[in-house]
Amino acid sequence: MSTQQPVLELKNVDIGYNDALVNNVIARVLPGEIIAVLGPSGIGKTTLIRTIAGLVEPLQGEVTLHTKKKGGLGYIPQRLGLVRHASVRHNVALGAKASISFSKTMFEERRNRVDEAVKALGIEDKLKEPVRRLSGGQLRRVATARALAQRPQLLLADEFLSELDHKNVEIVIEAVQQLLEDGTSIIMVEHHEENVRLFATRIWVIEDNQLHDYSLEEWEQSLEEEE
Amino acid sequence: MGTILGGRGMRGGWILAVLSLLILAWLVLNDLVDDWGRLEGGMDNLVIFVEESMWPPNWSVLEAQSYPVCENDIELFCSVGYLGMMETIKIAFVSTMLGFIGALCLSSLAARNLVPLYVALPFRFILAAARSLPSLIWAILFVIIIGFGPLAGVLAMTFYTVGYLGKLQYEAFEGMPSDCLEVSRAMGLSHPSTVVSVVIPETGNHLLSQLMFMFEYNVRHGTVIGIVGAGGIGYYITTYLKFLQYDKVLALLIIIFFVVVIIDLLSLMIRSFVTDEGDVRRPTWLRGMIKLWKKRRASTDAE
Repeated sequence: MSTQQPVLELKNVDIGYNDALVNNVIARVLPGEIIAVLGPSGIGKTTLIRTIAGLVEPLQGEVTLHTKKKGGLGYIPQRLGLVRHASVRHNVALGAKASISFSKTMFEERRNRVDEAVKALGIEDKLKEPVRRLSGGQLRRVATARALAQRPQLLLADEFLSELDHKNVEIVIEAVQQLLEDGTSIIMVEHHEENVRLFATRIWVIEDNQLHDYSLEEWEQSLEEEE
Repeated sequence: MGTILGGRGMRGGWILAVLSLLILAWLVLNDLVDDWGRLEGGMDNLVIFVEESMWPPNWSVLEAQSYPVCENDIELFCSVGYLGMMETIKIAFVSTMLGFIGALCLSSLAARNLVPLYVALPFRFILAAARSLPSLIWAILFVIIIGFGPLAGVLAMTFYTVGYLGKLQYEAFEGMPSDCLEVSRAMGLSHPSTVVSVVIPETGNHLLSQLMFMFEYNVRHGTVIGIVGAGGIGYYITTYLKFLQYDKVLALLIIIFFVVVIIDLLSLMIRSFVTDEGDVRRPTWLRGMIKLWKKRRASTDAE
């Protein structure tokens, strides 16, 4: 096991609302890792993400985030969580706002981060547009830009690559590379195997109320065995 | 069975329930009224009252008062109707704005999806207390505390506005989609930041609509609080009522009616700029004006 300080630790965690969907989760996430969470619908993937985000209390066990900086946790839910009646700039700026501390240069820093993020996602021409007028793919890019502007240490993304065509997936992945270079870890719920192969470094498969932790190679091997 | 209950049987039950309530209401009314004979000739009295005392409206309320001497070239600006209405509008405007800000502060601490129950409950209690006294009672209280005049009116309407708008606001906050709130919570945004950057923009249309409704409400109620000496057009209405000058009262009531209609149109116009396209249709004249303005701006840019 690596001696590196993990970003996230799950110790004997039971996840669910009333009854446990996933039992006794023991896992840790290291800086720079990209974890894809796989499993059939309703198995508890979103609940796992929401538990790590602190939105659902674990039924048992301990979830520890080792994020030191302000706004260290980024979150892109399935419904994206954008402020529909506000502009693209306002939404992306929320990410910067969450992570930049009060200082003389904070407004300038916020502006720079927003400009960089929208440029990376190719939505710089939509800055003034209200979010409610954008297409599904554009909305996902705005949510990703918000995370980019936040520069979190751990990003939780629930199916953020779904509904995107191949070209848009490439744009988003290229933009997220920037975060990975800064050492951000990502936990993402994903259904498409090709996106997992393109992006993930480790796989969490939820099966029979258990979380199985695989490396990419182990996962590929398990798929071959199943076939 | 399901068809019977969900179809005709259900409808029959509804009709029976409504009929029972109507009969109950009639019985209660009958119990309250001891002399039905009073209704006899009531219509005749109304016709005589309107014909002899109220109609036609006396538009001298729009002429300059004899004292103080009018120094304005336009007589209307020195008239009872104009001065009273303007004071009422000013009282309503100031109290709506102050009440709106006060209500926002309290309602963001009273919404269940923004704060825990133990925080929300006391603030809901404060809002309910402010709302439970009608603006007229607030006005009487403030007239007693600080004396006659518009300041008593402003304070009375502000307190009532806080209570009334506060409730509408926290209900709007509680009805907003939860996903953006969850994102801000997960990202670690503070409560004030969440309210300013997420909650207010997301519910902006509701807030604006409530604000315009409250302004219109305050203009209408400004007339009532004037009756107890808290300033505005109500002061003149009471005076004319005391001197049995009902024709002047009618003229002032017509002025209030027109002002309320104009505020309603303004509200429609303002909301058309912030709602989804097609949600609130802009009036034709406004669309024409916007088109003309855009055309002019384009030609100025071209030059």
